[in-house]
Amino acid sequence: MNLKKYTTLTRAGIMESLQFRLSSLVIVVGNLLYLIVVYFLWKAIYASAGTEVVNGMTFYDTLIYLVLATALFGFMEMYVVWDIGRSIQSGKIVLDLLKPMEYRKYMFWSYSGSFVTQFFFTFLPTFLVVAAVTKGTISFGFNLLFFVLAVAMAVSINYSIDFIVATICLYTESIWGINIMKQVIVLLLSGATIPLAFFPEPLHTIVSYLPFQSIYHTPLMLLLDGNPQPKDVVTALCTQLFWVIVMTVISKLFWKVSLRQITVNGG
Amino acid sequence: MAPIIQIQNVTKEFKVLNRREGLKGSLKDLFSRDYKIVRAVDHVSMSIEQGEIVGYLGPNGAGKSTTIKMMTGVLEPSSGEILVNGNVPYKNRAKNAQEIGVVFGQRTQLWWALPLVESLKLLKDIYQISDKDYDEMLSLYRSLVDIEELLHKPVRQMSLGQRTLSDILAAFLHNPKIVFLDEPTIGLDVSMKAKIRTLIHALNQKKKTTVILTTHDMGDVDALCQRIVIIDKGKMLYDNDIEHLKRFFGSYRTLKLRLSGSRDELVEQIQKEIPECSVSSDEEWISVLVDEEKAKVMDVLSRLQQHHKIRDMKLEEISTEDVIKKIYEEGTA
Repeated sequence: MNLKKYTTLTRAGIMESLQFRLSSLVIVVGNLLYLIVVYFLWKAIYASAGTEVVNGMTFYDTLIYLVLATALFGFMEMYVVWDIGRSIQSGKIVLDLLKPMEYRKYMFWSYSGSFVTQFFFTFLPTFLVVAAVTKGTISFGFNLLFFVLAVAMAVSINYSIDFIVATICLYTESIWGINIMKQVIVLLLSGATIPLAFFPEPLHTIVSYLPFQSIYHTPLMLLLDGNPQPKDVVTALCTQLFWVIVMTVISKLFWKVSLRQITVNGG
Repeated sequence: MAPIIQIQNVTKEFKVLNRREGLKGSLKDLFSRDYKIVRAVDHVSMSIEQGEIVGYLGPNGAGKSTTIKMMTGVLEPSSGEILVNGNVPYKNRAKNAQEIGVVFGQRTQLWWALPLVESLKLLKDIYQISDKDYDEMLSLYRSLVDIEELLHKPVRQMSLGQRTLSDILAAFLHNPKIVFLDEPTIGLDVSMKAKIRTLIHALNQKKKTTVILTTHDMGDVDALCQRIVIIDKGKMLYDNDIEHLKRFFGSYRTLKLRLSGSRDELVEQIQKEIPECSVSSDEEWISVLVDEEKAKVMDVLSRLQQHHKIRDMKLEEISTEDVIKKIYEEGTA
């Protein structure tokens, strides 16, 4: 495999995302507003609970978790569904299909550039600020290594889910509703909006059998656990690997089957 | 040598939901399984040799783009066989893509936010073009068009003409065996059209690239194509030389006259005098379309002179545009 064929797309993605400085700024401000809401919401929840620890998490545990989840969202959300959906509607998809590589790979590598910029511009600054402010709550040890591994797999699972949803757009030719539904389901069941510890027991069990928790919950838990048990780490990473493989296979097959049915819009 | 594109008896059908009218109809459609089959391409066959420029013509919705999408491998034919460069396009899309280039007049494959040169470098890596071939191609481009000012301009700031030109350069960059140009001159001004025609012609000559050109602009056809294929409602109407086309449809010439008197009455009167020709008029001229198989231009002229005073006249050969218009009209009739 000639890697340059793909990494050149990463390079272009980085250059492209750097072109739109203002849009990055707006995203940062938007995230900030969201975090303020989160802060006051959870403050109220803890105040009404009347105890320091709710479901095994202190107020600061929860806050750190959610701030980092938001930062992670900033770089994992790729808007793949929007983009593929729009290019299906406009018919531009033909041009991407005619690149001499698999479409699924082409799109992934085209987005990879924005991972890189988002990682350095949103995730890393947020992480460092949180680490500095909370002084020592986050440990700097092997957990960082586990986190990086887990994020890489989370990106893959997240992309496969997005790609499956985008494939559905081939049939419906409408994007908006499907994308909103996907976002809500993924963010809720992955533990990005509410930590999974707060879920009632039956739901918690159901979620543990789904791929979503591997996207946000697993990487964040591995990062925040300063005293990781080898058994837990191995289980978490293996579960992720399992979902990486399963979701990749499903999204590839679904796309292959669907592409034969498509009618390409326009002229 | 085997033809580079071989199409045999290709048909493409689409399943389309029968839509009903009004709000009530739209609600019913939600549950409707009432499909009809639309045949976009109907038993089309042709074979194209390496290095040809083929004009692929037809009115809007004739099935041109569907055929092209099948040749590029985006769509799978419902029946029939296509071989492009020895491959079945939809089975080996990625492999096929390496050997073809495409330009869709209304869309761009360039990276919107980046300068052209970055897009070209990207394509260089994606198509794995060697440094030597890339430099050669770029210096060929330099000798044909003035690309220096384009290279460092972001694509989103380009005019439509500049962007189309850039898209054509991008499509030829990996020296593909076949380039599909779908309405490349749409919406462009006269001088840009001329520039683009010269560029396509030169690249075809230098690189022996096969070009499949769809267009509605007969100027493109006259300037570029030796051969044309005409399709309407999915069926092939014509496939032959452009010269042959004119002969095939009789040797028509248009006699243009300026007479004294009211134009509308004159048109009626002349039509009665020479019923074998069709007479029409515009602001300036009264046009008499003469089929030379049926009547000689000189005869028509002398017959007219007996009744009218001719103030001015000119003779025009029929244009490709007129012939094609005639084929479309007969095709749909």
